[in-house]
This record gives sequence, structure tokens and C-alpha cells, in this order.
Amino acid sequence: MKKILVIDDAATVRMYYRQVLEAEGFAVEEAGNGYEGLEKALTEAFDLYIVDINMPKMDGYTLLRTIRQEPTICATPAIMISTEGQIQDANAAYAAGANLYFNKPVRPESLITTARLLTGEHRA
Amino acid sequence: MTLIKKHDATGDAPREFRHQSRDRAGLLCQLEADAPEQRRWAALDLAAFSDAADALCDRLEQETQTPVREAILTSLIQIGGNPVVCGLMPLLRSEDAALRNQVIEALQQLPEAVSPYIERMLADDDADYRIFAINVLANLRHPQAPAWLQDVIERDDNINACAAAVDGLAEIGTPEAIPALTALPERFADDPFMQFCTQTAIRRIQGHGA
Repeated sequence: MKKILVIDDAATVRMYYRQVLEAEGFAVEEAGNGYEGLEKALTEAFDLYIVDINMPKMDGYTLLRTIRQEPTICATPAIMISTEGQIQDANAAYAAGANLYFNKPVRPESLITTARLLTGEHRA
Repeated sequence: MTLIKKHDATGDAPREFRHQSRDRAGLLCQLEADAPEQRRWAALDLAAFSDAADALCDRLEQETQTPVREAILTSLIQIGGNPVVCGLMPLLRSEDAALRNQVIEALQQLPEAVSPYIERMLADDDADYRIFAINVLANLRHPQAPAWLQDVIERDDNINACAAAVDGLAEIGTPEAIPALTALPERFADDPFMQFCTQTAIRRIQGHGA
């Protein structure tokens, strides 16, 4: 079973992603800020990170830049999802190390499709 | 019994980098020093000067060193009041996500000073700015915070602003918010996330947990 770490300070957002992804057979762990996310990423193996930008303690850009410098986890794919919809926000996400960038709210079918794609969990 | 002073207090004092005098003018000069440690000390010492808020906010906008930023924010919170809130609010528009989040956390610690500005912040044309204001509200120890969040879900047309307010209400909402939460999904009928998060918030307010 592929394992996904959802890092977002909004509890309702984390719970929503968990419901959508678990229904498709993914295992989901949650973190409420960047520090907590980094701690979990360094202690458990994940197949995908889903990361918000604006979070207390450590923002999503800083988190992704840190992950990309950690040899043990730097290759794990990451989706960045934020309310900010300007082109510079997407560019900043990719510069920080995101594989994909979405604006909130994300349609469940988009989340599932990209999670499958990035984790290699292809289905017919 | 004889008390023996083991260490000379001055001899053991931490090495400090105060090359300027510690009056207001000297500290403001040191706040622009090249060495981050000097700027950090100046920022901390400027907490004693209530009229230093503008200079500290100006420095905060340019500052890249985390320890100096933290010192500036510590002093700004200690100074408090309207000049600090007015100096911090524009920084919510910064491109620097870390700075924005630090400003949100600082404003949350100034509930009385920030409260007169909340309605203006929630009426801003920029949806991102409104969302940051909602983020301030979600952890603001002010009795009116739930009512302000409820106002957002009744009036704001932006789905992400409403979702942020719903998330805040899930934490601090009262039963008075339930009718507004119940009505909200109709405004965003094609969005399954809004259906989910309003139901979650209502369950939490009713004490049924997640």
C-alpha cells in the first residue's frame, strides 16, 4: 500500500484528503505544520508528500527545500497545494522542489489521479 | 554561614556585540548593522522604546536572518498597540511565506490591538490577504473571533476564504454558527470539499469530534 504524508495546518483539509485518498487504497499520515511534517518525513518512509504553503512554524516552501537537501528523502515526489493562484506562486513551488502545483480547492479526481501517477500506483 | 561568590558576574557575562550606545538613536543605528548578532541585540533592546515600532517593522520587511526576525517580532509583541499592528498588517502582502506566517503568529498575540482592524482586513480586495486575516482570527483570543468568522462564511464570495473560515469555526465556533455553516454549501454547490468541511465543522461544534 502506498503511503502519503499530508502536511497542512487546516484540520478539515487534512481530513478531506485523508478521506479521498484512503477510499482509493492509499495509507495517509497527517502533519499540522512544516516542522511536524519534516519530523515525520525523516522518521517514516512515504511515497508522496502533499504540502500546503502557508503554515505556522515552517512554511511549505522551506519544508520542501529542506526535504530536497536530505539525501534519504529528497527523491520522494511532492504536490504543493495552496490558495494562492498567481503564476509566481506556482513558479516558487516548483523552485522549492514541488513536482506538481495545484490551487485549492482540488477536485478529488485530480488528487487521486496525480497521487496514482506520482506514486506509480497505476490502475487500468 | 559564609556565602562565597564563585564567579565574578562580569567575567562570566556572555559576550555581547553592543558597539553603539544603548540609547534609542544608538540602537536604531545598530539595527542596521552588517552583523546579524548586532541587529538582533538592537532589536531586543528596542523593546524598551514604544516609538521604535516603525523602525522595527521597516527592518523586519528587509531582514533575512531568522534569529533577527524573531528578536524583532518579540520586541514588537512586547511594545504592542496600534503602531505595531499598523506596521505588521502590510507585511501580510509579502511574497515571503515565512515572514507572512511569522506576522500572522505575532498578530494573534495582540488581540486587543488588532481587533479594530479586523473588519477592514476582511473587506480587502485581495482574497489572499483576507485568507491571512482569517488565519489570524482562527487563533485570536478575542470574544468576537467566532462572529467575525461567521461573517466571512455569510458574505465572502471566495471559496478559499470561506473554507479557511470554516476551518477556524471547526476549532472555535459556537452553536450560533451552525445555521450559517448549514447554508454555506449551497453557495458552492459543485464543490465536494465545501460539503465535507462544513459537515466536519458542524460535528465538531456539536461535540461529536471529527
